[in-house]
Amino acid sequence: MSSSTTFADAAPAPRHAPPILEIVNAVHAYDGVVALDNVSVSAAPGEFLTILGESGSGKTTLLRLISGLEKPYRVGTLKLEGVDVREVPAFQRNCTTVFQNYALFPHMSVGANVEYGLKVRGLPPKEREARAREALRLVQLQEMYDRKVHQLSGGQRQRVALARALVPRPAILLLDEPLGALDEKLRVDMQVELMQLHKQLGMTFIYITHSQEEALTMSDRIILMRKGKIEQAGPPAEIFDSPISSFAAKFMGVDNCFEGELDALADGWASVSVGGRRIDGRWTGKAAPKLGSKVAVGMRAEWLQLADTSPEPSTGHNVLDCVAEASIYKGKYLDRTVKTPLGPLKARIWDAASSARNPSFVRWKKGDCIVMNA
Amino acid sequence: MAAILDHQEVGPRRPFLQRALDRLAPSKLMVPGFLLAWSLLVIVPLVVIVLFSFLQVRQFRVVYEPTLATWLSLIDSGRWMAVVRTLRIAITLTILEFLLAFPFALWLAKGCRSKTFKAAVITLLTIPFFLDAASRIIVWRSILGTNGAINTALVWLGVVDQPVEWLLYSEFAVHFGLLGTHFPTMVFPIFMSIALIDDDFIQASSDLGGSPAQTLFNVIVPLALPGIVAGVVFTLVPLMAAFVEPQLLGGGFVDLLGNSVNSALQQLKYPTAAALSTLVILLLGICLAALILVARRRTDIAAMFVAMRR
Repeated sequence: MSSSTTFADAAPAPRHAPPILEIVNAVHAYDGVVALDNVSVSAAPGEFLTILGESGSGKTTLLRLISGLEKPYRVGTLKLEGVDVREVPAFQRNCTTVFQNYALFPHMSVGANVEYGLKVRGLPPKEREARAREALRLVQLQEMYDRKVHQLSGGQRQRVALARALVPRPAILLLDEPLGALDEKLRVDMQVELMQLHKQLGMTFIYITHSQEEALTMSDRIILMRKGKIEQAGPPAEIFDSPISSFAAKFMGVDNCFEGELDALADGWASVSVGGRRIDGRWTGKAAPKLGSKVAVGMRAEWLQLADTSPEPSTGHNVLDCVAEASIYKGKYLDRTVKTPLGPLKARIWDAASSARNPSFVRWKKGDCIVMNA
Repeated sequence: MAAILDHQEVGPRRPFLQRALDRLAPSKLMVPGFLLAWSLLVIVPLVVIVLFSFLQVRQFRVVYEPTLATWLSLIDSGRWMAVVRTLRIAITLTILEFLLAFPFALWLAKGCRSKTFKAAVITLLTIPFFLDAASRIIVWRSILGTNGAINTALVWLGVVDQPVEWLLYSEFAVHFGLLGTHFPTMVFPIFMSIALIDDDFIQASSDLGGSPAQTLFNVIVPLALPGIVAGVVFTLVPLMAAFVEPQLLGGGFVDLLGNSVNSALQQLKYPTAAALSTLVILLLGICLAALILVARRRTDIAAMFVAMRR
């Protein structure tokens, strides 16, 4: 775990090559509602970049800007493979999209759908078919070449859409929540398949999702968006361990978040008073605020330990007294809620048998407690 | 007995009409009923017309004796020329209407962003249905005639010395009159089917590298094909039977099937009218069969409806 201060705004590119995608200060609005507010993004060749955010955070707008389906209101730089594409229409850009609802042409067979990108480029039918069959083999649908689109299941359509976008061999593959419509099991399988495909093809993938789990599993780098702005960007582990704000923390699944006043901040460690108690933790926020200003404290449920008796005082832990409340059995683990002077805390217990039956104390490592901008 | 009464009281009583409609819902009753009504109202009169063309009228009385006399007289009298002319004008106009209506419908469905403007245009398109054809067409006489607005303007501007004769009472005038009348019937079905095309398909095409022209011919036209077929049918069929425009703007020089039928009826030559009508039906049948064959070679329309429903 990085204990040093991470005032990271943007992570260094994983590979030292000129960026394949470069956007500087993109601004866009729909009917006066701001969708993108001075967003700058770059992607290295071969990177798996995930744009994470809630619906309405501007992530789809960003993707449509890259594909050319949307013309930005204003943009400083918009380069694909080092070439300025601000005035280049969508059909002349070297990137393809896997649409959220697949958008497979209903009047064409699976094969014709996959071949479409080659047909419009004027390739001879023989080569088209060979490459389409190759792409269908890649997504394990080699027998489906002659099928009609409406005869396929949701998962199969998803794969056809993927094959169709891959066939023209784009520099960048854009994926707009491609797994959103699939059921749980299929989604997990497709995540693994997409990762393998990415490794195999060495193509740049730009992936849009609202699921932190998908983002963490697949990406080389995550860009977390909020209300048309980039909230945080960095590799998955960094965003997961060191969210810079309470929004980022909540989005990355930090279960317990409280607001408090900053008492001290030095060497990357912060002290905060919350509900009259002093809590110590790692400072993960961006700019250091003034002492006494509002900051957020967060801890993941799985790092909290419950105890019957008062634990030995230790300098490495935060300790609070508590009263047991609800307990929810989740199969693999047990979620317990305890009442503390801070408010209700959620603790996740993996070993239900050996845990305290009637906990009266809760403690957690100071290193597992994060303090960030509110 | 008590059990039956109990059973009836279980559910809340529904209104009589709703119960009657519920009973109609199964296709067992509705479909055959519809087919029967349809055949009585439409098919039977058609059959009667065809049979009538093999009869004759003498001294205002129908003689029930099968004869080919009417059909032979059609050929002798040169009325078959009207058939050829009608077919030529109807097909020319259908093609013209399509070429004008498709871009217009495409713009109306996908290009026109303002909803108010779109509603206004659609309302404007229905105006030809407001008025009776004759009163609408007669106005053109005062515009196209030798003393009409256009000729007056042309002479006044010095473009021509003599009024242009062919503007009225000519094939041009008939084409012109028919063009306006039958534009909406071509636009509406095409507009509907283009409006139903999901924007995602169009965007996917351009995203995959399809230029606007390629997107038009590979995606929009095939997906709009049901509407195009409907538009052609709704335009071609009335064109084959048109008689108001040729009468008022053709001035007797452009005799079409519709006029022939009309004049035959006025002269009480029922078998002739029936034979001409049979010809119209026959020609329409051939045209539509050809259309369906062409459309089917392009795509399977039935399968496309299934696909579009998703």
